[in-house]
Amino acid sequence: MKHDFIDRYARLESPVHALDPRAKTIALFAIVICCVTTPPGAWWPFAVYAALVLVIANASRLPLKYMATRVLIVLPFILVVALFVPFMHEGGPTYDLGLFSVSRDGLIVLWNVTVKALISVSCLILLSSTTPFADLMHGFERMKVPRFFTTVASFMYRYVFLIVDEAERMKRARDSRNYRGRWIWHAHVIGHMIASLFLRSQERAERVYQAMSARGFDGTFPRVSEPKMRAADYFFMLAVTLAALSGRLVVLWT
Amino acid sequence: MHIPDGFLDPKTWGTLTAASAGTTGYALYKVREKMDEKLIPMLGITAAFIFAAQMLNFPVAGGTSGHFLGAMLACVLLGPWAGFLVMVVVLLVQCLFFTDGGLTALGANVFNMGVIGGLLSYYLFYYAKALLSRATSERSALLASTAVFSWFSVVLASIACSVELAVSGTVPLRTVLPAMVGVHALIGIGEAIITTVVVAVVLQARPDLVCSYSAPPIAQALTAEEVAS
Repeated sequence: MKHDFIDRYARLESPVHALDPRAKTIALFAIVICCVTTPPGAWWPFAVYAALVLVIANASRLPLKYMATRVLIVLPFILVVALFVPFMHEGGPTYDLGLFSVSRDGLIVLWNVTVKALISVSCLILLSSTTPFADLMHGFERMKVPRFFTTVASFMYRYVFLIVDEAERMKRARDSRNYRGRWIWHAHVIGHMIASLFLRSQERAERVYQAMSARGFDGTFPRVSEPKMRAADYFFMLAVTLAALSGRLVVLWT
Repeated sequence: MHIPDGFLDPKTWGTLTAASAGTTGYALYKVREKMDEKLIPMLGITAAFIFAAQMLNFPVAGGTSGHFLGAMLACVLLGPWAGFLVMVVVLLVQCLFFTDGGLTALGANVFNMGVIGGLLSYYLFYYAKALLSRATSERSALLASTAVFSWFSVVLASIACSVELAVSGTVPLRTVLPAMVGVHALIGIGEAIITTVVVAVVLQARPDLVCSYSAPPIAQALTAEEVAS
């Protein structure tokens, strides 16, 4: 059972792990929003955001290899959607490379989406890998995210391990019976698997609901202690947010 | 089809975030009207199910594979508003914990896969089913419209995605639209086969779990007693 695949490393000890989830959420979301709204063609702001991400990542003691493999998840989308842009873009100056020409504007588009996607993804990884799921959801609740979402997501988190495990078992059973789907008309086998996965998950949901209501579940997950924002949390939140904003504002003034 | 951060410009993601937030608010209101805390465990576990189902790749052609989207399935089985909310939770968790889809693009992803691929396709399905029911039995009308509109749900979502990318000035529509729609027209066939098989099997085993079967879509979707019984 891959028990910790969602928030693995969320329980390490580091200055970043110790921060309040709300401080981390606001600071890292601030970097993402500043980064995404920075006009294309700018250079300095991205250096500021990248530096912030590197400093936080370094302080968080997350294994470098883990960070790198997680960040590379966005590459397929960049490759499929944006890689051909420099070759297809029309207008503006072009660089002639013999067989084909590369548009300058197209290269800027490619650089722009790649750097923004990588920095934003790193921020989200830093948030979710340094905060246990339940703490993050509780932090969201304190920031007025509707309780419906945090409770449904918490249930999802609790049961996703079981259901993914169940799906893995089905996959193993299927493969041991020599299923080799190659063409789209073999897809109906997956349909049967998903159908029994659904039936089993619904029956589990019914049992879980009955067991929980027998134990007095009222739609909230009570906590033993309420986290408090400390001076260090405020400092981190303000420092990172202001640094990101100043990176963003450099573009406005020049 | 999960758009990462940086591919959309502020006006596009701002507009789509507002649209998705509005729809989500209305869906919450619709679901709360008929439901108390009772359905929360069920929706959570269904979200986990959608998540696990998306991990089962299906073959497309010659060894390549696509993965299941599940928006239409969630809406057919749970009713449109509850199905939409399940998709919102799945996309939220994928964005925060799996870096699948960006934070600022979350609104756009909810719009494509929840509003277009879920709600809009569901209502097209619903009216097609009502029309077909006059000619054949409700069961075959349900399955036929599920097949057709599961395909549409994937293709419409991919069209919306291409238009958003083009409006943001990232890629010209002329190049992105044929590529996206071409790939997703194929993936949509897999989605249609799987969704129809799932609905047919569930209809056989537990017809009470298919909310769009012989009842108005919203009313039955949200009475907890019926789901629990």
